[in-house]
Parts: sequence; C-alpha cells; structure tokens
Amino acid sequence: MQAYVVRRLLALLPVALVVATVAFVLIHLAPGDPASVIAGPDASADDVQKIASQLGLDAPLYVQLGRFYFRLLQGDLGQSIFLRKPVSEAILDRAEPTLLLTAFATVIAVVLGVPAGIIAARYRNGVPDQACMALALVGISVPNFLLALLMVLFFGVHLGWFPVAGYAPLEYGWMGTLRSLVLPAVALGVVQSALIARITRSSMLDVLYQPFIVASRSKGLAERAIVYKHALRNALIPTVTIIGISFAILIGGAVVVETIFNIPGIGRLIISAVLRRDYPVIQGVVLCVAGVYMLVNLLIDLSYLVIDPRVRYQ
Amino acid sequence: MKPLRILGSVVVGATLALAGADHSLAQTQPTMGGVFKAAMIGEPPSLDLHTTTAVITQQITWHIYETLYTYDKAYQPIPMLAEGHTVSDKGRTYTFKLRRGVKFHHGKEMTAADVVASLKHWGKSAGRGKAVWKDLEGVEAKDPYTVVLYLKEPMPALLVGLAHPNNAAAIYPREVVEAAGDGPIKEYIGTGPYRFVEHKPDRHLKLVRFKDYSARPEPADFFGGKRVAYLDEILFIPVPEVSVRLAGVETGEYHFGQQIKQDQYERIKGMPGVVAQVIKPSAWSVAVLNHKQGLFTDKRLRQAMQAALDMEPIMAAGFGHKDFYRVDPALMFPEQPAWYSKVSGELYNQRNRARAQKLLQEAGYRDTPARWITTKEYEWMYKNALVAKQQLEGVGMKVDLQVVDWATLVQRRNKPELFDIFSTGFTFNPDPAFNTAVDCNWPGWWCLPDKDRWMESIRREADPRIRRAMWEKVQTLFYEDVGRIKFGDYFSLVVSRKDVKGLLAVNEFALWNVWLDK
Repeated sequence: MQAYVVRRLLALLPVALVVATVAFVLIHLAPGDPASVIAGPDASADDVQKIASQLGLDAPLYVQLGRFYFRLLQGDLGQSIFLRKPVSEAILDRAEPTLLLTAFATVIAVVLGVPAGIIAARYRNGVPDQACMALALVGISVPNFLLALLMVLFFGVHLGWFPVAGYAPLEYGWMGTLRSLVLPAVALGVVQSALIARITRSSMLDVLYQPFIVASRSKGLAERAIVYKHALRNALIPTVTIIGISFAILIGGAVVVETIFNIPGIGRLIISAVLRRDYPVIQGVVLCVAGVYMLVNLLIDLSYLVIDPRVRYQ
Repeated sequence: MKPLRILGSVVVGATLALAGADHSLAQTQPTMGGVFKAAMIGEPPSLDLHTTTAVITQQITWHIYETLYTYDKAYQPIPMLAEGHTVSDKGRTYTFKLRRGVKFHHGKEMTAADVVASLKHWGKSAGRGKAVWKDLEGVEAKDPYTVVLYLKEPMPALLVGLAHPNNAAAIYPREVVEAAGDGPIKEYIGTGPYRFVEHKPDRHLKLVRFKDYSARPEPADFFGGKRVAYLDEILFIPVPEVSVRLAGVETGEYHFGQQIKQDQYERIKGMPGVVAQVIKPSAWSVAVLNHKQGLFTDKRLRQAMQAALDMEPIMAAGFGHKDFYRVDPALMFPEQPAWYSKVSGELYNQRNRARAQKLLQEAGYRDTPARWITTKEYEWMYKNALVAKQQLEGVGMKVDLQVVDWATLVQRRNKPELFDIFSTGFTFNPDPAFNTAVDCNWPGWWCLPDKDRWMESIRREADPRIRRAMWEKVQTLFYEDVGRIKFGDYFSLVVSRKDVKGLLAVNEFALWNVWLDK
C-alpha cells in the first residue's frame, strides 16, 4: 500500500513535466503579448518593443523555455508580470476563496444529489423518480452563468438577501464570508448535484437488483436498512468518484462563476492572466490545477480501500 | 380625474418639489468622510502613468499624481503644480515657476529636481513624452523652484502636452524615478489629494485622503483650481462583468459603475437611487486601414470602402440607443467649437454603391478578402465591423472578419503583414497637436507628406485661427486620401448612486471635489 502511494506520487513528476511544457508552448504560440497590454492602446510599436525587451520576452522561445525549466527545477514558478510578485504567492493569495467556494459547492452538490439519486432509485419509474430526474435534467442543462445571473437578479437585486458580488475574506468574520459565498456556491453546486444524482441513481439501481439484496429482503431486513446499509455502501464507488472529479473540476473550473460574482479566486486569476498574457501565472496555475487533479484522483483511489474492503492495492 | 384627486396630486407635487429644493440645498454643502467604491471595468496594466496609454491607469492614478499643468472647462492648459510660466527667446525657452510647499505623499517637498527627473523619464517612456522631447534641447533646474525647458523650435502645444492626463507628464519624486531607471516606477508616490495604500489585484486598489495635500487657492475650475479630498477612502474595484457593475450600483454595493451597456439606459432611468450620466463626447469608432502593406495601399480600394458604407445602421448596431451615437464627419467633436469642422464631410457616409463598385472595377479588384481584425471584448467594435462587412460584401468586396481577444488585436496591429483593417476607437482629444487618429507612426501607418507637414505646423503655430485652418487641411486630406474610415461618434454611460455629489460627466473620471451626501 505505501509502495503504491509512493509509486503514484512519483508518477506525478513526468505528468507535471508534460503539462508544464504543453502550457508553456501553447501560451507562447498564442498571439498577443503582455508588452502590448502594458503599453496601452495608443502606444507605438517601438514603445511595445521596449517593454518587451525589459520583460525578457525578446529572447528566442527555446531560451525562455530553458529558463522556465531551470526555475521549475528549483521549485520556482517565476514572477508574475502584472502582479509584481512570485506566482506561487499569487496562487496562495487566491486559494482561500476558491477552496471555500469549492468545498461549499461540493457540500451543496452532495446534500442535494445523493438523496435525490437514492430516492429516484428506490421509487424507480414512480413520480419521485421522474421528478428528481426531471430536475436533474434541468440542472445539467442550465449553464451555471445563467443560473448565477438569475440568482443575482432575484436574491441580490430584488430581495436584497445576499450581496450581488464580491468576497468577504475570513479574517473579517465567517458570517460575511458565508453570505458572500451562498449564491456562487449554489450556482456551482446545483449543476454538480444533478450529475451526482444521476450517477447515484444508476449505480443504486445496479445494486438494488443484485442477489444479495434479494437475499436480505427474503430474510426480512427492514427496507431502510437494505437501502442505506447494504445497497448504498455498495453503490458508493461511482458516486465518490464523481464527487471527487467534480471537486477537482470546481477548483480549476469556477472561472465563469468567480467572474460573475467578482470573487478573487484561482478562476479570476487565470482568466485575467490569459486576457493580459501573464505567461508565468498561466503556466503556474495550469500546473497547480493539474497537480490538484492528480492528487484528488489518488485520494479517490485510496478511498476505495475504506469503502470496499475487497479492494487491494499491490 | 376628480377635483379632489387633482388637488391631492398638486399637493403631492408641491411637496415633492419642496423636497427636491431641500435636496438641492443639501447639495451645496459638501460633507467630509465615507468610503467610495467604484466598480471599474478591470485592472490597470501598470500604475506608472508614463508607461501606459491605458485609460483605466489614468482614471485611477491621476488621483495620486499631478502634472505641471491641467485643463480648464474649455480644455485650455492652466497651471497645476506650476505657479506659472514665461516664454522667451522667440518662443524657444519656457521658464516654469513651481508652487512652494507642495508635499509628496512621503513628506518631502516637491522641487525642481523632481520635476526635471520626472520629465526626463516621461520623455523616455511615454509616446506623448517622446513627441515633446523630439523638439526639446534640454531641461534644467535653475533653482529649487524654477525649471527651464529649452526648445529647438517654438512649440505652443507644449503646455497641452504637459497638461494632458492620459500617458501624462506626472511628477514623481526624484528618488523614485532614479530607482526605476528606464523601466516603470515601482513606488507610487505623488502630490495628489489621495495617496496610494495598496493594490490587491482582482480585489481592490485603495487610496486614502492625503492630509498634507496643498490645494491651489483658486476655486475649482474643471480639472484645475482647488482640489478637495472629501472622501476618506476610495476603493477601485475591478468588476469585469457589466451586468454586475450595474446590479451593484442598483443595490448600493458600489457608488459608481463605468461603461454600462447603452441599451439599459431606459431601464436605469426608472431605478430609484441611481443616476445615469451620458459621457458626451466619449470617442469615435473607426476602422483603421493598413497603408503600409496589402490591399489598401491602393487608394481606389480605400475610396471604394469609403463610398460604400452607410454609417447609421453601423452605429445603431454598435450602440443600441439613439442617445449614444452621432453620425458626424468631424475628427474633433461638435463640443469643441474651436476645432469642430465639417469640411470634406461630403465624402463621409456616402452610401454610394455604384461609385464603390466602379472604384473596385477600376482598381482591378479580384475577390481578395480584406482581413479585418476585431474583438468582442469591446462588443461595439465587433458589431460595427459585422454590419460594415455586410455592406462591403454588398458591393462585391470580400471581408475576412477575424474575431480575436483585445490582447491579440493590439499585438497583431503592429505587424503590417497580418491585417488590412482593424477596429478601434479614438478617445476624446482636447487638442489635435498630439492626435493618434492622424499619427503617421501609429499602426495603420497613414503617412502623407502634406498631412505630416500640416501636423508639424499645428505644433509650432501659436495663432488659434491659423491652427484651425491647418487642422481643416488635415481633415480634408483625411477624407481625400482616406486615412481611416470613421464610423461615428459614440458616448458612454456611467451610473452612480444618488448620494454621490459633484461628479463631472467626463471620460477622465475625477473623484476630488466629489462627496457622499449624508
């Protein structure tokens, strides 16, 4: 088991190298450069060139790539062009809102999605099933930016229950933070809950018709115990997998919702970095998000050990 | 309507009118205090005014830094950090007397040494600064409160160059400039009514009142005169999503929101607690043609494009509401009577398809698509281009519309081999002397010896009547040679809370002399 974890962790290194290289090459091949953004719309080509050479962007691409690898080997993600601070520091600054938002949204997704999936499976083809699955279909189909804007309009502008935008950091009290995160977390969580509900329903259905469930029924176990103790535990592996994946997606994918709600998280960091071509930040965030993906996947795999004692890793 | 109801509405009306009168009385009494939250379109790319021409940098940082001169209501230069100046040696020597006792935010007094260092940095870093320094022989600190500028040739537009807030000749402390070398400054210290506290990207940029600010004694005159920091604190908050800027002002979360969508105007007028202001004029929308390389080096093709276009639907598509655009040929706005002229206007908005087709035929045009780069980041640019493309294809000119992000557009437009047309806007310019819209060195490279000579003369000439006549020559050449394709003037929409008082409806966005009514 320990050997397995070490092996998986070591396997992260080549993947990280590939991700770093692809991110570097893609962003440098894309048109646009930070120097023109700094110089502004009325600047001449000479002014832009001067700024580019101050930033070291006039060196050939392979030289810049070499410098990037060299720094990376020392654990240095580089210096942001616009934020005037190290990339790792910029990412850490933005981690709090994104992690809290992701955790909050995941809780909402699980609280809504798992019971909905169980109810739908229990009353297969009945009214509760159809109602839950219809809602799930709506949840999957409505883009989260639309849901977000509608919620801003209704709960923010008309009712005034929540702020329309902005983030209150934890240091000023958790109530403010919670209030500022409710709308974005619901916008993100509802979409993920629909996915979780559908997966939970189908894996529950697979289990509910297995011989051991029939056996438990015939020996007179209460329905409640059959569903929650025996069926759910066995149906949990696909559900946990999808919860883990959606957590990882939310870490790097809350770009739209963070922009709409003006939350200074990782999503906003990458979007503004892309728009102004802040190369080091883009590379750093892509690398970080890839790392989180790989770690979450590892944790999911390890969680199987707890959920299902039959699983063994050599 | 029954008589009683009529009486009732009269009473209510009178009460409202009285309440209104009370309100306006309250307006005349500025109050100190409050945190002002401004929802801005994004982040400034730099906080060094010398380095960038980005409007948002100017809107934020000119509360921190000041210039030797600034503008009065007629956009004429008036002294700010300077006490005044004298001109000698047939217009070639300018001697500036500085105001005494003006403190920088770190406590040091501003002297001639700071001014000289700043002007040199500006001359190296800023496009406008370079244009001024081209004609400058040197600058000298005669004594701690006197700066002398020696010019190669007389340049009456010098003060305009020193007063303009965009890419401005901001005065920084000498040691800040020296630490920066040729690069951008790293410490944000000025003499302005507000001082810089912190910049947390994507969160806010915070300024607070500078307690030792030395205001000018004269009453406020547009950007000049006495500046008062009524607000305790200003937070510039980047809010890239336009609907959130508006919703935030509607709920009172922000006091001000810039660049609101013009098609929301009617709705906003009905919002309680929100004031809509039309910034008029703001800029003109334009298609910049590539004169250096490709299709449009052929004047007949440029003329064909000019002949074909119908500006009304192009502008209507871009700006939605009739109150926000104007179809007008002048390169300087009607709001600038000293410069406004309709000369050669008959070549604008011709809507002459037959002439366009004839010109295409004469030029031997064969289906080569004109590569037009535009962006949806400024939606009006894309919509202007889209309608213009349809009109051009109607006369037989192919257009390859390439929609890219703004960062790509500003990079590609510097490479003549990559485009035939690009979309942009030219913002309000008080004086034509440093006008990018007709600059030969700017992307598009519209260089014409006659035009460039007139531009040179405008910089040297002092008589306003002669300068105006010269500018009319430039405008004539603009249309005859088809320098660029102007679509029309547009205005922008800003919103603020009702309790915000003293806000000028101008592009530049100044928060000194602005207070929050309590």
